[in-house]
Amino acid sequence: MSFRLATLSLLTALSISGAARAQTTQDFDVVATIPSVCALEAPTLSGGPSINFRGLNGTTLEVDQLTDPRTLATRAASARVTFAAVCSFPHTLVLESESNGLWRGIGASAPSGFADAVPYDAELTWGPVRERLRADAISRRINQLNVTVDEAVAGEIIVDLGIQAGASNARANAPLIAGSYQDTIRITLEPQ
Amino acid sequence: MRRLLLICAVWASLAASAAAQDTDQAGPIPVTGNAPTFCTVGGLQGTDNVFDLGILIDTTTGLLSQSLSAPPKTMAGAFCNAGSTISITATSIEAQTLTGAPPNGYSDEVDFTATASGWTTSPAVFATGSGANPQSSQTRGTPFSGNIIVSIDDFETAGGSALRMLADPVYRGSITLTLTTTN
Repeated sequence: MSFRLATLSLLTALSISGAARAQTTQDFDVVATIPSVCALEAPTLSGGPSINFRGLNGTTLEVDQLTDPRTLATRAASARVTFAAVCSFPHTLVLESESNGLWRGIGASAPSGFADAVPYDAELTWGPVRERLRADAISRRINQLNVTVDEAVAGEIIVDLGIQAGASNARANAPLIAGSYQDTIRITLEPQ
Repeated sequence: MRRLLLICAVWASLAASAAAQDTDQAGPIPVTGNAPTFCTVGGLQGTDNVFDLGILIDTTTGLLSQSLSAPPKTMAGAFCNAGSTISITATSIEAQTLTGAPPNGYSDEVDFTATASGWTTSPAVFATGSGANPQSSQTRGTPFSGNIIVSIDDFETAGGSALRMLADPVYRGSITLTLTTTN
């Protein structure tokens, strides 16, 4: 009799410890991705008063008076153009002058004593980078500044454009031949 | 005469044995049982246990997207045969490839809020960006069965909304749902 009771007690103890499941869990993962992205917005004119620039018309920056009316030599001009930008990864910035200076439109070359191109500088500021593109107008060609940026950067790309008084592709203070002078600047953000 | 005596002795022995069986008792035997406390979070509906948010950022600004979402998950057939506590915890969504501290202006971590509803009157809520989460455990005093809905929302850039997010192919966080009996 006592043996039977002992056996029953043991079975009861086993049923308590073996079947109880007082806690359960479920795990979930939350996943996402961020691709390598660079974004560049439209230019704005900023950074204080520009000198001898009319302002931005869309993406066109126009010099007010390119020449001194008395000497026909180049007048000084300067402006700061900014682009809101972001790159979420290490990247390369390319600042390109399409013509390596402000060049007169299609036409015959300038007669002796006259100039038909105006050099300028474009000083670039972007995150940790400060570089200068010298569009010297010595020859009409594409001129590029390539900058390697080894980190993500967000903020503004600042391009300070400067034309020196009397600058030309001939001698200093050479008169500019009449015409429309232009160049195209491109800024590209791309993977390294 | 001698044989007769022997037979009588055997009969007497049998008779004595039969008389003993009539008076013995096996019992009372107590019959007891035990229904142990038991909880299960139920079965996960759907194809997997992953909240996939896709691309975290607005690609035109580099800032955290304001339209992040993922469908909620349902744990079907959860039950507890006693009072219970439902708890939820989570870890922030972090870049898995990048190392080192992010540069100025950037973040590599996203906080969010995980919610488990359907079990208690007030849902269990855990915000990864909070130092304390007193709402992360909720208790009900009675047995219950039903579905538990787990959802995520309130995504925020760790460090501030003005920070942009660093590129990384894999950002990952986690959520753990726990159902426990209280007695």
